[in-house]
Amino acid sequence: MSAVAHPIVDHNVPAGEPPHIHHMDPVTAYGAAKLGMWLFLATEILLFAVMFCSFAIMRYYHLAEFHDASKHLNLWAGGFNTIVLLISSFTAAVAVTKAQKGDNAGVVKNFAISLFCGLIFLCVKGYEYSEKAHHGMFPFVWNSDFYHYKNFLGLYFCMSGLHALHVIIGMAILYWYGIRPATKGRFSGKYYTPVELGALYWHLVDLIWIYLFPLLYLVG
Amino acid sequence: MAAHVSAAVNEELNYLNWQKGIWSWLTSTDHKRICFLYLFTILLFFLAGGVAALLVRTELAFAGPTIITDPHTYNVLFTMHGVFMIFLFVVPGIPATLGNFLIPLMIGAKDVAFPRLNLFSYYVYVIGALIGAIAMFNPVDTGWTFYAPYSTTTGTSVSLMVLAAFVLGFSSILTGLNFIVTIHQLRAPGMTWMRLPVFIWASYATAVIQTVATPVVGMTLLLIIAERAFGAGIFDPSKGGDPVLMEHLFWFYSHPVVYIMVLPAFGVVGEIIPVFSRKPLFGYKMVVVSSMAIAAVGFIVWAHHMFVAGISDFSAKFFSIVTFLVAIPTAIKVFNWVSTMYKGSISFKTPMLYAMAFVFLFMVAGTTGIYLAMLGVDVYYHDTYFVVAHFHYTIQGGAVIGLIAALHFWFPKMTGKMYNETVSKFAFAALFIGFNLTFIPQFILGMDGMPRRYYDYPAQYQTLHTISTIGAYLNGFGYTFALVNLLWTALFGKVKAPRNPYNSHSLEWQTQSPPIHENFAEIPVVTEDPYSYGTPTGRGH
Amino acid sequence: MLGLLGQQGSDFAHKVDYAHDVVTIISVICTVAIVGVMIYFAVIYRQRDGKDHETPRIEGNNTLEVIWTVFPTLVCIWVAWLGYDSFVDLRTPPANAMEINVTGRKWAWDFTYKNGKKTTGELVVPVDEPVKLVMTAKDVLHSFFVPVMRTKADVIPGRYTYEWFRPIQTGDFQVFCTEYCGNEHSRMMARLKVLPKAEFERWLADDSQARKLASLKPSDRGKELYVSKQCVTCHSLDGSQRVGPSWLKIFGKEGKLADGSTYKVDENYIRESILQPQAKVVQGYPAMGMPSYQGQLSDDDITGLIEFMKTLDGTQKVEVAPALPKKSAASTAGMTPAERGKALVNDSGNLCATCHSIDGSAMVGPSFKGLYGRKEKISDGSEVTVDDAYIKESIYKPAAKIVQGYGPVMPAMYEGKLSDQDVADIIEYIKTLK
Repeated sequence: MSAVAHPIVDHNVPAGEPPHIHHMDPVTAYGAAKLGMWLFLATEILLFAVMFCSFAIMRYYHLAEFHDASKHLNLWAGGFNTIVLLISSFTAAVAVTKAQKGDNAGVVKNFAISLFCGLIFLCVKGYEYSEKAHHGMFPFVWNSDFYHYKNFLGLYFCMSGLHALHVIIGMAILYWYGIRPATKGRFSGKYYTPVELGALYWHLVDLIWIYLFPLLYLVG
Repeated sequence: MAAHVSAAVNEELNYLNWQKGIWSWLTSTDHKRICFLYLFTILLFFLAGGVAALLVRTELAFAGPTIITDPHTYNVLFTMHGVFMIFLFVVPGIPATLGNFLIPLMIGAKDVAFPRLNLFSYYVYVIGALIGAIAMFNPVDTGWTFYAPYSTTTGTSVSLMVLAAFVLGFSSILTGLNFIVTIHQLRAPGMTWMRLPVFIWASYATAVIQTVATPVVGMTLLLIIAERAFGAGIFDPSKGGDPVLMEHLFWFYSHPVVYIMVLPAFGVVGEIIPVFSRKPLFGYKMVVVSSMAIAAVGFIVWAHHMFVAGISDFSAKFFSIVTFLVAIPTAIKVFNWVSTMYKGSISFKTPMLYAMAFVFLFMVAGTTGIYLAMLGVDVYYHDTYFVVAHFHYTIQGGAVIGLIAALHFWFPKMTGKMYNETVSKFAFAALFIGFNLTFIPQFILGMDGMPRRYYDYPAQYQTLHTISTIGAYLNGFGYTFALVNLLWTALFGKVKAPRNPYNSHSLEWQTQSPPIHENFAEIPVVTEDPYSYGTPTGRGH
Repeated sequence: MLGLLGQQGSDFAHKVDYAHDVVTIISVICTVAIVGVMIYFAVIYRQRDGKDHETPRIEGNNTLEVIWTVFPTLVCIWVAWLGYDSFVDLRTPPANAMEINVTGRKWAWDFTYKNGKKTTGELVVPVDEPVKLVMTAKDVLHSFFVPVMRTKADVIPGRYTYEWFRPIQTGDFQVFCTEYCGNEHSRMMARLKVLPKAEFERWLADDSQARKLASLKPSDRGKELYVSKQCVTCHSLDGSQRVGPSWLKIFGKEGKLADGSTYKVDENYIRESILQPQAKVVQGYPAMGMPSYQGQLSDDDITGLIEFMKTLDGTQKVEVAPALPKKSAASTAGMTPAERGKALVNDSGNLCATCHSIDGSAMVGPSFKGLYGRKEKISDGSEVTVDDAYIKESIYKPAAKIVQGYGPVMPAMYEGKLSDQDVADIIEYIKTLK
């Protein structure tokens, strides 16, 4: 046993080769990474489940208010955002197949589109929020006219806000773990784990929106 | 285990001394060193929570104001006692310390699946603790349960404290995730699921609960912040919210959390008793099944904390029945542990004393839990001292005793030294007597109807309170003595431990004590289970 | 049977106690058995001479596993049923139960009867009749616990919950708040008073208090409230020192507060001190001594108290009449001394029952039950025997020998109010409370 520390994960390997991991062989490492990501996604779903549950209960108590308040949401913006995220999920999936074929340029292109879609999503969301603030339906600038919408709007902002935060995190993951190494030609059929896991996370972000949109905008 | 699996080149070089300096400790991804990072930090909070407890008990020793002149200070103290002990001490508890140290060693791996994530988890915990420290400038007075609408309207730093709890929960989730993946992916060749030590099974069940339950309370705490910050109106009835919803969401985690706290202790006891009885763990399969059953059923019993909270009578009946369901696997474990001692060759080293004490303490804990599972009786006992005594028996008599037992048992493995048995036994006696002296009077106080979280009480309850306070001081003394003994020995002790002083067959004891940084020079091949004590013909051990 | 939960006050209490007894016996037997077996094994199978002896590799026994899974399951089913059985009664009020509205708030309990009568801190009910409490909270969660009845229910803002009981004996019983609600959570107690039916009917119908107040001029209204809202407990009218400042010449007074700043007693100061007593505490007085009367006094009530205080300028002697008329001499004729003493103690104008129970439960002051002849330790550590002389002294000079654990709260208002004969009668009554 030497007195020199091994780095846990050593990326100093030929392009396309899986990194050298101190205490696991590549097959085990891949399995561990996938299991880890799925578990993490489960915790994210549980996190949002609390708000879905609260929404259901609050809606049961305040049905009329929820219907009215929901009509004040911008259906077109929400619908547009849904399409944007679906496209981004599609390109994320394409990026994974590109990585498996060793087409690093393809990974960069597709993840970039996903990232760009994320950006559009955030801009539209920002527009929606600013509209709300303008009408006094926003935290800290509540207009007392809309006071009785607080139950709905409180949950709306918590849910869409936390989701937007996850979009940002997802974008960071796509860039740091996908685009950046791909520009250095890192991935191949032998090694594409970060692309796959990054795309998984992005799919979750999309999936949560797929539930949020109908619940908040359509059902109300 | 058949063969010696470690053939280290240099027996003197181990994980403690191969890299020196505080920076090497603070940046180490070695699960064994991370164990110590957690251990020192959680023991700090054990001390803080203990001081809060002694202040509370001193105040309660006599009716009327004793050392605290205003109720608000008292309310802050019992809140901080709960918050420190639960979120900062017992929940990380055994998993973050002994779990970290032992899981790779017991399964024959060189480290956990994600060592960098492991270190990151520790620093997330530290950040959570620091946020909590900032909250101490206007300390919280809601009780550790943060019930709304008191928590959404009180002027103390609830948002900060609750954010601290959220961050701490995130650390817990990451640790749980890490352990699940480790146990699935990194078992040595031949280490099948049914050859795993019960401590691993217990840690696995615990990790599942950590990963699944913690996000729920995390989000609930964030919603409390949302409620305070911008009046979201989810829990506060004056804004159309539902306080009982908060209770449901809170207890959905906070019941499973008690299994996070106690399951690893069950695992510890299951490791100690076979070793000191020289017999296989009786009913290994049933012990494994019961651990998983407790974890699973533990998720559906939460509203037994809410029988009088305004839930429907139908809900109350359902939750009462399933609560009985979760009691049965625990009883099965106790029967199996005691049966392990049958026709054994029993020695009474300190770890075995703690394990045997655990059996007694958990019998009290479990049977008093039955009272609380019964609907009619719980209506009387809810929010009285009976509940306080019950959960101290489960958490302190269970989880904390388990931690102390584990620290004594694996001390030679972790430090390569042996502590003084006489001193440790003396500390054990003080601790055990003190603990029972503190909480048995509290059962009686509960029977007399004394409510909990009371700053002051009618004079008729005083005698029992005075006795309880005396016990509390003895209890605190016992813990201090036990831990100082271990700390002193770890730092200055001279007695070197043999590699396997208790002659355990478990894999972690087949390496040198303390282990080398990589645990094993070569990954071992496992051929039998870790409880192969005794022989079919009854010859040898 | 085992009597572990104390007095049974309701008709379903025995069911709860029975379930409790069964679990206690089972728990004790199981714990003793299992721990006993463990210790037995530890002793007979212990190492000899520090050396291990041979041990059989017993992995398990399926029969045993089945037995100790099935048997505890059966026990649990039985015990669960016992719990359920007692619960069903607790949660099923009879259709004819008398409803009383309860409001929990920081930090007192308000009770409203169907005829509009309101009380605070005291729930009066008739014996042998079912009572259903329809409860809500004003601010945060509270919980209404009556140990002797074995019932409890949380009280939630914005919602109604209920509990019910049928008292089986008369007496005064403790009510606790059992959901943490802030600073005065431990002092948010109430008294449950169970009366014989006829006496309850009389009590319920008596609205003389409310009518009388409405007809009085403000300062007289304040004078009535001074007694009925128990300000008299802590504030004297003659300058003598009690827990709080005397009201003699209080209006216009100036001085220093606890934090060093100055105060002046004007209308606003009085109002603030009634509703938020901790806001401006006069130096030398305890910080948390006075409870808030928020919700208990109307604006007219507060005005009345202010006007009353204005009259206390020392130019005339102020006689404070008891809230309800004292029983006339004619009505007490023919009574034994003890019965007369009982009437005096129960006379709400004398305020004994505000602080002293007769059933053993401790309140602000010691219970009268078992009081006579008892040896007590007083605040300076010395011992006294509660005899005639001690009781007489404690009535006229309450601060002289205060029992350890109790505060200097009893008002010195009985000199001149109770005659020596009254005191002797009261002593006779106390003697009967064993």
